[in-house]
Amino acid sequence: MFEIQNSGSAVIRLSGRLDASQTDKAREVLIQLQDSSVIDFSELDYISSAGLGVLLGTQKRLVEAGKGLKLINLNQHIREIFRIAGFDHIFEIE
Amino acid sequence: MEKKFDRQFDALDGIFEFVSGFISKLDTDAGVAYSINLAVEELFTNMVKYNSGTADKILIRMNRDDKNLVLQLVDFDVEPFDPDMVQNVATDQPIDDRRPGGLGLHLVKSIVDRITYEYANRQMTVTVVKRLERSNV
Repeated sequence: MFEIQNSGSAVIRLSGRLDASQTDKAREVLIQLQDSSVIDFSELDYISSAGLGVLLGTQKRLVEAGKGLKLINLNQHIREIFRIAGFDHIFEIE
Repeated sequence: MEKKFDRQFDALDGIFEFVSGFISKLDTDAGVAYSINLAVEELFTNMVKYNSGTADKILIRMNRDDKNLVLQLVDFDVEPFDPDMVQNVATDQPIDDRRPGGLGLHLVKSIVDRITYEYANRQMTVTVVKRLERSNV
């Protein structure tokens, strides 16, 4: 089960598994972001290339506008997936 | 053990449950579990996306072979696929040059120990081998 919450304080919280069946749900929220935001991964157990693709599209759009995403609290598995994908150079990861 | 799944992304929940059921009986770590779940999703979704000319279900088979977990996905009544034709993803490119596509296969190749493709009689079998010792993911 995947959930994405926009608390309105520029922090987006992900939870569960962001797999290929959940990208529409993620995109619905992320497409609304207009400003730099923090995405909290502390409750996210899993992400696949589909989820990475949604994040990439969001980051491209924000970077074009001089803004960007900061990703926090990635677990060790997700952090390694980001490294393998080369996304540790594309996102600010804390 | 093996099971067939409908070729749609909504089948992923059931697939993960099937995979977790097998992995839970093995003496392995969360990194291996993550790697296998990721491999099965990426390969399954590729079959759904790129073999659209068939309505057959996709077979997922899991076995243990000594110190390895062997995962197979079988797609029926499909055209041949040459994995060597898939362009390598340049992961060091800046964001402006990153394009979607190919990342799933790149991740799979990076996290498993061996991946092979066999095609015969309109049937594609992808076999992934993952050592059960501590994973790098």
